[in-house]
Amino acid sequence: MSETWLAIELTHLALDLARRAQAPHRDLPIALSDGKAQGPRILDSNPAARRLGVEPGLALSAALSLAGNLLVYNREPAAEQRALERLAAWCYQYSSAVSIATDQHTLLLETGGSERLLGDSQRLAQQLEQELLTLGYHSRAGQGPNPEAARLSARLGQPAPALNAISAWLRPLPLSALDLDPGQSQALEQMGFRHLGEIMRLPRKALARRLGTALLHRLDRLTGLRPDPQKLWQQPLSFESTMDLAAEASHCQALLFPINRLLRELCGVLRGCDRGIQSAHITLQQGGGEEVFTLRLQQPSRDESHLVTLLQERLERLRLRQPVRRITLRADDFIAFDAAPEGLFPDPENPASNPLDPLLERLQARLGKRSVYGLRGIADHRPERSWQRCSPQAAAHSPSMPHRPLWLFQQPRRCAIEDYRVLAGPERIESGWWDGHDCRRDYFVVRDSGGSTLWAYREYKPEPGWYLQGLFS
Amino acid sequence: MRQASVSSGLRQLDTLLPDGGWPLGALSELLVARSGIGELSLLLPLLAQTSRNGGWMILIDPPWLPYVPAMQGHGLNLKRLLLVQTQNTEESLWACEQALRGVRGGVVIGWLQGSQQPAFTQLRRLQLAARHGQKAAFLFRDHQVAGQATPASLRLHLEADAQRLKLTLLKGRGAHSGQSLRLRRDHLSLTGITPSLTPFSTEPAGQTGASRPSLSMHPMSAAP
Repeated sequence: MSETWLAIELTHLALDLARRAQAPHRDLPIALSDGKAQGPRILDSNPAARRLGVEPGLALSAALSLAGNLLVYNREPAAEQRALERLAAWCYQYSSAVSIATDQHTLLLETGGSERLLGDSQRLAQQLEQELLTLGYHSRAGQGPNPEAARLSARLGQPAPALNAISAWLRPLPLSALDLDPGQSQALEQMGFRHLGEIMRLPRKALARRLGTALLHRLDRLTGLRPDPQKLWQQPLSFESTMDLAAEASHCQALLFPINRLLRELCGVLRGCDRGIQSAHITLQQGGGEEVFTLRLQQPSRDESHLVTLLQERLERLRLRQPVRRITLRADDFIAFDAAPEGLFPDPENPASNPLDPLLERLQARLGKRSVYGLRGIADHRPERSWQRCSPQAAAHSPSMPHRPLWLFQQPRRCAIEDYRVLAGPERIESGWWDGHDCRRDYFVVRDSGGSTLWAYREYKPEPGWYLQGLFS
Repeated sequence: MRQASVSSGLRQLDTLLPDGGWPLGALSELLVARSGIGELSLLLPLLAQTSRNGGWMILIDPPWLPYVPAMQGHGLNLKRLLLVQTQNTEESLWACEQALRGVRGGVVIGWLQGSQQPAFTQLRRLQLAARHGQKAAFLFRDHQVAGQATPASLRLHLEADAQRLKLTLLKGRGAHSGQSLRLRRDHLSLTGITPSLTPFSTEPAGQTGASRPSLSMHPMSAAP
């Protein structure tokens, strides 16, 4: 079976990392500097900066004089590498074999196996470009019968043909298509070569002697003469991604866009490894300190819209003390996950298919986990100890006492019994000596002068006196 | 045209209610002169039936803690009970709307948190949300709002004397308002042992004195 490879070149990775927190319409001028101590230069810039004349190669000082509000970032190779690794994990949604070619910020996907499922690879290439753009990454994708051809296809913007037609496709290409280093292309030019076909006609030994074995090997990999095994990226089962905000955010709503992007990336990674999460931690770094909050789910999930709904509830409740400069999304526990078949809609007749979880999560996200709960009875004769908060649906059966009041005061309150008329009683409740809560009480149904019916008791020990404990409703 | 409704489980009450029962997919307001004049007992048969059939009972900002053995004694399935505690009127209204839209069917009962009275438009949101979720939806409100217009489909006024709970229809779909019904308080509680009454804090605090319970709304929020 013939292989098909996709190459995705992240054309502006370093710049994208600096600007992906910014919604496309914000368009602040951003540039990337090489960070050199002596005569730093611009490496890359976004369209807003280019409109002001800030082009790659320009001296940083000149750039700043052209655009006073230019936001300048230095390259961070380690962050770029981490981003490539995250995106490699993300690409596992579309391939079972993904590798990283660090030299050109390129990801390689073997799609031969899943081609039929995903439609033709050219369409997949376009889809990947689009999806990466929604995550904030600019890319160009290409496809070919081997990794080298796919990379060349990405650079040229035209698909490579099958292996048996590859030489014919290569010959008319200009040498610049190979993106050789300047020394090499200069040497080739001086020798009078213009097209790939001209060097491909050279005897192999002569080619190796004159241009080095590296170029020969590359040509061999392109034409399939030399195998090109790829080292597959092994994805860890966790996720962490950090974004710097181009403009500090002082409103919670301004955080929605960047965190949404992070969650989207996370959900792609989760789909890639067929896992779900039950919690995601978000750290907001502010001037002096940081704010951390957690999105919690009742069931493992990787549904982006669901997470974003939770995020919105959480952000509405958040009060920022200081503007946010940097956001980190972290998810540590990837959980094995059985996705429900899509298109399975809840059946209104079947309560099990009408789950409470999404509502529960929304309520808990805004009101806090402790504010949304169920109740369960526990075996204790003392009413104030006969119940416990629990997670909803976890209620256990408890004794049935329809003659008791529907409402219970959390704390019994002292009262003067003369103010009440006794309607029924007493009911003796005596218990608790075994756990140090020795008590004896007589309970009465009483009515106050306004016509309300209450539950009162006389305690003999440990605190003699009259108390009110409930309300008949 | 008769609207969707569900029997209240109390024959006499069903004859008073315009649709022959509690409206479904609509908001009902229960205005109480004093809290607990059997107002929760009116809903017990519905709650028992709903929860046994797997429907959710969602209580938003109940003024006190539901007493588990009593609730269970009236046939409620506590596995289907969800309690929600909020901090202010805005959150309370939000939680009601979420509960109404969140799951299909079931019963939502709200006691609005805070002293602020909701605006007509805010209540209309709840009315629409109740329609969306096909729920029986109840709001317990102070009887002093009786003069204000409401988007709710049903509005009942509840007051009690020593023996009877008087229910007056203030608003109902296609019904003449002013019709009323008296239910024996000792019949309301299913066992007939005790009447069920709770007052709202309509009395000034000074009058109640230290020895009286402070039956103010939402003492639960003060709890940790």
